[in-house]
Amino acid sequence: MKWFPSFGSQRRNRELQEEIDAHLQMAIADRVARGEAEETARHAATQEFGNIALVQDVTRQMWGGGGWFEQLGRDLRYALRQLRKNPGFAITATAMLAVAICANSTVFSWIDGTMLRPIPGARDTGDLVSLQRGERNFSPTPPFSYLDYRDLREQNHTFAGILAYHHDWITLTGGAQPERAYIANVSANYFDVLGIKPMLGRFFLAEEETKPAVPNVVLSYSLWKTRYAEDPAIVGKSIEIARHPLTVIGVAPEGVVGAMPGLRDDLWVTLDPLGTDVWRMTHRSGGAVWLNVIGRLRPGVSRGQAAQDLDTVMHNIVAEYPDDHLGANQITLDPMWRSPFGANGYMAATLPILLAFAAVVLLLTCANVATLTLVRFVSRRRELAIRQSLGANRIQLVWQMVLEGVVLSIVAGAVALVLTSWTSKTFAWFFRASSSPTTLNGSMDHNVVIGIAVFSLLAGMLCGALPAWRSSHAPAIEVLKAESASISCGSRNRKLLSGLVVAQIALSLPLLLCSGLLLRTLRNLAGANPGFEQDHILTATVGLNIAGYSDNEVQLIRHKILDRVSVLPGVKVASLTDWIPMTLGHKGEDAYPEGYVPHPHESLQVYHAEVAPRYFESLHIPILEGREFTPDDDEKAPRVLIVDQTAARRYWPGQDPLGKNLRIWGRIFTVVGVARNSTHMFVNESPEPMVYMSFFQEGYETIVQVETEGNPFDLAPAAENAIHEIDTRLPVFDVRPMRESTQLASSFAVIQSTLAGMFALIGLVLAVTGIYGVVAYRTQMRTHEIGVRMAVGASRVDVLRLVLSQGLWLTGMGLALGLAFALGLTRVIARLLYGIGANDPVTMVSVVTLLGAMSLLACYFPAHRAMHRNPVTAIREL
Amino acid sequence: MNEKEQYKNRVELLQGTLDMLILQTLQWGPQHGYGIVQALRVQSGDVLQVETGSLYPALHRLERQGWVQSEWKQSESKQKARYYRITAKGKKQLASDLDRWEQIVEAIGLVMYKPKESAS
Repeated sequence: MKWFPSFGSQRRNRELQEEIDAHLQMAIADRVARGEAEETARHAATQEFGNIALVQDVTRQMWGGGGWFEQLGRDLRYALRQLRKNPGFAITATAMLAVAICANSTVFSWIDGTMLRPIPGARDTGDLVSLQRGERNFSPTPPFSYLDYRDLREQNHTFAGILAYHHDWITLTGGAQPERAYIANVSANYFDVLGIKPMLGRFFLAEEETKPAVPNVVLSYSLWKTRYAEDPAIVGKSIEIARHPLTVIGVAPEGVVGAMPGLRDDLWVTLDPLGTDVWRMTHRSGGAVWLNVIGRLRPGVSRGQAAQDLDTVMHNIVAEYPDDHLGANQITLDPMWRSPFGANGYMAATLPILLAFAAVVLLLTCANVATLTLVRFVSRRRELAIRQSLGANRIQLVWQMVLEGVVLSIVAGAVALVLTSWTSKTFAWFFRASSSPTTLNGSMDHNVVIGIAVFSLLAGMLCGALPAWRSSHAPAIEVLKAESASISCGSRNRKLLSGLVVAQIALSLPLLLCSGLLLRTLRNLAGANPGFEQDHILTATVGLNIAGYSDNEVQLIRHKILDRVSVLPGVKVASLTDWIPMTLGHKGEDAYPEGYVPHPHESLQVYHAEVAPRYFESLHIPILEGREFTPDDDEKAPRVLIVDQTAARRYWPGQDPLGKNLRIWGRIFTVVGVARNSTHMFVNESPEPMVYMSFFQEGYETIVQVETEGNPFDLAPAAENAIHEIDTRLPVFDVRPMRESTQLASSFAVIQSTLAGMFALIGLVLAVTGIYGVVAYRTQMRTHEIGVRMAVGASRVDVLRLVLSQGLWLTGMGLALGLAFALGLTRVIARLLYGIGANDPVTMVSVVTLLGAMSLLACYFPAHRAMHRNPVTAIREL
Repeated sequence: MNEKEQYKNRVELLQGTLDMLILQTLQWGPQHGYGIVQALRVQSGDVLQVETGSLYPALHRLERQGWVQSEWKQSESKQKARYYRITAKGKKQLASDLDRWEQIVEAIGLVMYKPKESAS
């Protein structure tokens, strides 16, 4: 095989030219020798030789070899020439394919940026698994205590390493301006297990895990860049975090944002950097259960084996410390792409379905382009027939046609590549600013480029091969003989065309149906009553616990805040809480109700929130029994609880819950009230038991929550000022109306319905143009026949009926098939729906009606045109 | 298109035969394209007139198949020309072509002459 065919072929072309010249020279010389005049001899010799260019051409074909490369070049040039001849087709097809490929590559880039790159910068993330303890749970709380984690890490036989972390907000003090940052407490092997090397300095040493000699901190690249101005000598310097000095020992490489998918850590410290958290490091239950754990499997170990191994270790731990491990304790392992910790649990539930929708759009587009191609090939039958009689076999013809499809789709792929480099970044639009340092976006890397290449090649093959195979079936002789009268384009092609139209309608129906269902779900979610007031509520987070105040100071400031904010004009009710519902987060704790015998393996986890007096009043959540918290429920008073209906019914069915006791964190809490159920995470959640504790007894974070008279947004500056009047250094952030925060809960419903809606629209346009194109084409092909029919007495209505009936027949078939297909597909999205069944008859009927009406309209235009033609010109036409 | 088709058809029509004729001509020594045309014409008593549109594709195909080799040489009349020489492989091919040709001639002869014999 020649590697430089162009060079070789140039030489061969020159030699062929010389060979032919020599032939002519010798012929002339012979003739001159026989006595002919030079000029006549030249003329006669040339005449005798024949068409020089043609001889060269057919001779060249014998070289064949010039290699596949040269052959490909010739075929490509031919394909391009054919496409150039018909720019309308080329542009339409390319544009449609580009949109369809872009739809796929965009969703894929989102999957790539989230699920496929769960931990940016980490090595071989496929070997990483996240550990969950107890009942499998969507959006779980950190499952392990340090001691449990350490035992698992040291006693397993299947992991190359297991890391642990916990992250939260902290305030960077010391600078001119205090700044809030997300800090992670991590095990010393954290970066080792992830396989990340420091950009500057070093990471943590094993002996520093529990008690570092000096408190150490590792900075993220972005923090180093923004707050420390890329100081190359930062290592060894001391920085102040929540008013404590820590020594910078290293800087992580650019792009490294920590181990929880979708969240961004700014800095990392060891598990107990100041040595002040001894209790948490030496207990196994309650508040000491605070770590998220990720393990790296040893090579060759399967997830199943590893889970079994850890289960054995965990079993021993439970046997040794049964009181610390009540409830379910089995270990489940998830690959990082669908890890329930962080964003990927949600991604895994949403993005693959969207990719499936996009794939349907691509199929639909291929069917549409194939229709166009087929129509075009029919008019190219003569060309194909000639090529066939010249010796091209069917494979070569198909190859040529496929090549044209591939050329189209490669161009479309290139356009899609450019588009995707932009659309991949639109993913972040769906995530509003929230109280979490979310970093979610699509990524445009080699995976996506490969993806686009695969999508385009697939599309090209589909668009080109099918019609080509059909067209090449036509026997050459017949086609060559065929005159315009018999240009009915063959029953085979007609069937294929009809099939493609039916396919387009059948594919677009499920898209429309799913998008209809998802849009109605979104409307239902937005209109659902979450069980609490969210329209006139303003919330603001005060970073008390992360700013380095002492406990006494914190309590004092909290009371002051409440006092000041309550009296602001426009404030109806002010309260404090440490949790906002419907913000993709919750706090969970194991609770042991007195006198309640749990079922075997029943999870005892309850949701909990710490709320101040008048919290329920401000959110309009009625207290059904007992009382709300009062200012007297403070640290000195006995611990009290308000439970919701779900908790009351589960733990004390048929009894009065008031006065009952619950043990949490080893402490006894007494129930003083029952609140009506309200939404915790999602409108469509299955209710989990919730217990409210008194803010002044157990509150951790400080979130001010006020019910306003007017627009909560207008009150924001006044509230912020009131807090700063207490202490100007108080960090206040996330000041926003409740409505804005709770919209987080429907982020994924918005993504689903937006994309499904866009895809469905594309599908509808494609299907309608597809049926229009085919009916118009067929009607045009039958112009002559219609002319004859009219000439012998058919009325215009007959013509209309003729054309419409064929369109309607196709539409009907497509709708029937589409419905069958849709019933399968809606089952897949059933669990994304809210307030509407997967087979909702109203949606189904309206979608079928819409598609049917649009198809009818698409058929009507060609029919109308045919009806109004003058039969005489129609007959003459072909 | 049509002209090209004609040539191509003729090539295909003559394929086996033309190859054999060319190889046979080259048995007497290396020859260039023009020489082969002349030799075939003379030897067939002016009956066979090989078209260039058939000859050159055939020569180039034979070369690709390794049955002939070519080189550029000066002719007696100082004309630089491409000379084709039959290879060992080509000779084998010629032998088998000839076999097949004789079989065909014999077979056709059987078909064509038998009825006459029985009639007489």
